[in-house]
Amino acid sequence: MSADQDTTSDLGIGFFGNMTASISHEIKNALAIVNENAGLLGDLALLMDKGRPLSAERLTTIAGNIRRQVQRADDIIRRLNRFAHSAHEPATRIDLREVLAFTVALAERLATMKGITLVLAAGEPVSLVIRPFVLENLLWLCLQRLFVAAGSGGTVELATEAKDGCALVRLRCGSGTQVGPVAAEAARLGQSLLAELQTEIDTDADQGELLLRLPAPACS
Amino acid sequence: MSERVLLIDDEKDFLEVMSERMRNRDIDVTTATSAKEALGLVEKESYDAIILDLQMPEMDGLQALERLKAINPDLQVILLTGHATIEKGVQAMKLGATDVLEKPADIQTLTEKIRKAHARKIILVEKENEEKIRAILGSKAW
Repeated sequence: MSADQDTTSDLGIGFFGNMTASISHEIKNALAIVNENAGLLGDLALLMDKGRPLSAERLTTIAGNIRRQVQRADDIIRRLNRFAHSAHEPATRIDLREVLAFTVALAERLATMKGITLVLAAGEPVSLVIRPFVLENLLWLCLQRLFVAAGSGGTVELATEAKDGCALVRLRCGSGTQVGPVAAEAARLGQSLLAELQTEIDTDADQGELLLRLPAPACS
Repeated sequence: MSERVLLIDDEKDFLEVMSERMRNRDIDVTTATSAKEALGLVEKESYDAIILDLQMPEMDGLQALERLKAINPDLQVILLTGHATIEKGVQAMKLGATDVLEKPADIQTLTEKIRKAHARKIILVEKENEEKIRAILGSKAW
């Protein structure tokens, strides 16, 4: 690795920053809705004092709105907690598909901001021993570039597959997407991640797919 | 006279509750869930203030602000954001935002800012009318 290349720690800090900034924004959005619903209850109480009737149904609706946003914030915070812990998690046996599902949950809002739909394809569990945070970081590095390549309105499908004793991750944008430059850039920028994961990047230009091939030693 | 406000946010739940609270304060509110929809509305209608979320899908708040100001430089745009970084705030003000507020916002503060934006708009309209009258008077040989 040359001196100007980022280490896994450098890349990890950037990844962590991206994700926590996005998550904090999501929490703020949920809090803003809770805040306005609480404010609305105050408004309605004042109006009731002035003689405007207030139905139990109206109150039930507002309570439901608040409960929904609290649930949403709770889900986001659970995700944040899991993400934070994964940063210092050692290599452990994981289900690759589950890591993909978690990465989709982390990246979904940022994808939506770019007009991209993320889809997790159905598939069988693929077990391997790996540092999940490093894999999530590599996936994010690839996804960021695929968002640009796919363009607003595009879809990126994530799929896993066990093939020839290896674990394969397919990031599919569809034919017409120029995945070659994406693979080259991801390989250059994510060199330290690829080295740690002993992973190779490949493409299937016809399918508009970026392939991550996790080698046999990491497979079950 | 009630203020005419365009509220832009991709969170439908937020739009619903915020617009109801504004209506309770005699503000005439129109909502839009995207910058694209808002741009269409601004081309057809006149608003005293525009409340714009900074982070939205496809076109973010700063891009939307630029486009809105290109349609009408006198628009009074208040940015409402979960990410109130100084950098973004400065960028927004440079692009012509009237104000920047952080979510969750206090409705009292927001209402005051809307009223101030309305007052500023009236001054701008009066100034524009005055200039038009002056131009007409100057062009006529009385």
